[in-house]
Amino acid sequence: MDFIFDAFGEAADFLRESSGELGAVVGLTLLVAGIATVVAVTLGVPLGITLGLGRFRGRQLLLTFVNVGMGIPPVLVGLIVLMILWSDGPLGSLDILFTPIAMVIVQIFLALPIAAGVTAGAVSSLSRDAVEQLAALRLGTVRQGIVVVKEVWPGVTAAVAASFGRVVSEVGAVLIVGGNIKGETRVLTTAIVQETRQARFGAALALGLVLLIIAFIVTGTLTWLQSRERADA
Amino acid sequence: MPERRFEDLRWPADRPVVDIDELVVEEGERLVLFGPNGSGKTTALRLMAGTIGGDRPDGVAYLPQRPYLFRGTARSNLELGLDDGERGRASQLATEFGVSDRLDGTARSLSGGERMRIALARTLASDAGVVLLDEPLAPLDHRDREQTATTIAAALHGRSAVIVSHDRSSAAILGDSLAVLVDGRIRQRGPIAEVLATPIDDVVAEVVGISNVLSGVAISGDGALVEVEWQGRTIVAAGSQTSRERVKVLFGGEAVAVHRERLDGASPRNVIEGTISDIRTVGRLLEVIVDCGVPVAALITPGSFETLDLHQGSQVFLSVKAVAMTAVSVGGAQ
Repeated sequence: MDFIFDAFGEAADFLRESSGELGAVVGLTLLVAGIATVVAVTLGVPLGITLGLGRFRGRQLLLTFVNVGMGIPPVLVGLIVLMILWSDGPLGSLDILFTPIAMVIVQIFLALPIAAGVTAGAVSSLSRDAVEQLAALRLGTVRQGIVVVKEVWPGVTAAVAASFGRVVSEVGAVLIVGGNIKGETRVLTTAIVQETRQARFGAALALGLVLLIIAFIVTGTLTWLQSRERADA
Repeated sequence: MPERRFEDLRWPADRPVVDIDELVVEEGERLVLFGPNGSGKTTALRLMAGTIGGDRPDGVAYLPQRPYLFRGTARSNLELGLDDGERGRASQLATEFGVSDRLDGTARSLSGGERMRIALARTLASDAGVVLLDEPLAPLDHRDREQTATTIAAALHGRSAVIVSHDRSSAAILGDSLAVLVDGRIRQRGPIAEVLATPIDDVVAEVVGISNVLSGVAISGDGALVEVEWQGRTIVAAGSQTSRERVKVLFGGEAVAVHRERLDGASPRNVIEGTISDIRTVGRLLEVIVDCGVPVAALITPGSFETLDLHQGSQVFLSVKAVAMTAVSVGGAQ
């Protein structure tokens, strides 16, 4: 049992001492997850609205893809993106494998179905009266999108939170396409794996704690935005 | 724009509840789609609006049966989808509908009737060539209904519209022609007074009931009774109008008494002369259709019918008590 208490002590020491390196890892984590979330939400929310309001051919097929995508194993996505970006692969000439760009790309693929799926779920819960009224108003696509986003705002913030949660806590795919290179592609999750493998539980625990705090701050902010809009309605 | 033609109103494709080959709305015509619950009125209107069925026709403004207001203020809902000119008109209509003081509150804080009036103001403010309204008076209190109906009628004046209704007096106030929908098909269509007074068969008669509509102009009134100029004569009806304005006078066939001689006594103040154009059986009573310029239906007992010795072509005098007639404003000073 003692080693658990020791680990907490080491974690405290780790947080006190390693400021520069930890800062870089945290920064990269936020940057990669942040960009991936923004891109995934920007594409996924409109896709989710389209799927949720649904009156077009191929909707069911697309919805199936999104649902499968929500549950797809990240390591598989990582493997596929790795093969595409590999030097002999179709996009090998881009030479972005083992860079943060590759990590962002893989995380977009992971978050996009979540952003779209959660939004589609919220939109399809709109009442028939609301959907009929939207059709009656004949707003342009953008105007209609804005009205819908405001109407299902709690669902959209849930989509953002779920997307960010998926990418910030994901380890398999970023490890495969990023390579966990110290100072270049190391993020909190891959750093935790690294420290754990080397039995430095204190450091791993400290990194986990930082990850938890980030998740807490982001989801807390989104929850606040959600409730504020509710009160406003 | 000239007439508006709606074609192939059919839904759903396999077992249609609405099956209308063509529905033409003339320029400036206000057509009421009338029928019992489940007759397909709302589905027909949705097909015209294009919210079902795939076709999305241009130039229609559509008020759904249960208008929905989105998150935000009442004003943001009032102005949704309107251009600048239309917004000004919407604001004016909101004032006429008595909801202008509610515009800065949230849409969710409004009552059902207030929501309907916001949605109505937005729909009527639209520049669209045809206005489609689904039961616009349904969620309103009895108290608000007549005032709102008058405002709608005034806003629709000179415009083409299709209005769904299952209520005879709303239909008579809002429309000038009537299409009776039975089992998804149009069974009878014509000027509203004609269809209400002379249904083509017993099915339509059962749907519309028997009623009379006279379109005239209020001349003067004391707040309880109003004098209405109709076809060059004056009739007196219950109504609160006190100045010149267009009105419709509504009364049922049971309120009409039939005489062979002109009455000299002053008791019923309204006496109308005409010729019997048709006689039909309605349950145990007889319905006499009298051509007085427009058809007027009177319900009488077979006993009176015998005593009066009535025939098709007989010259008769109809009398109706003033309090049995209701004058309703339909907007527009005359």
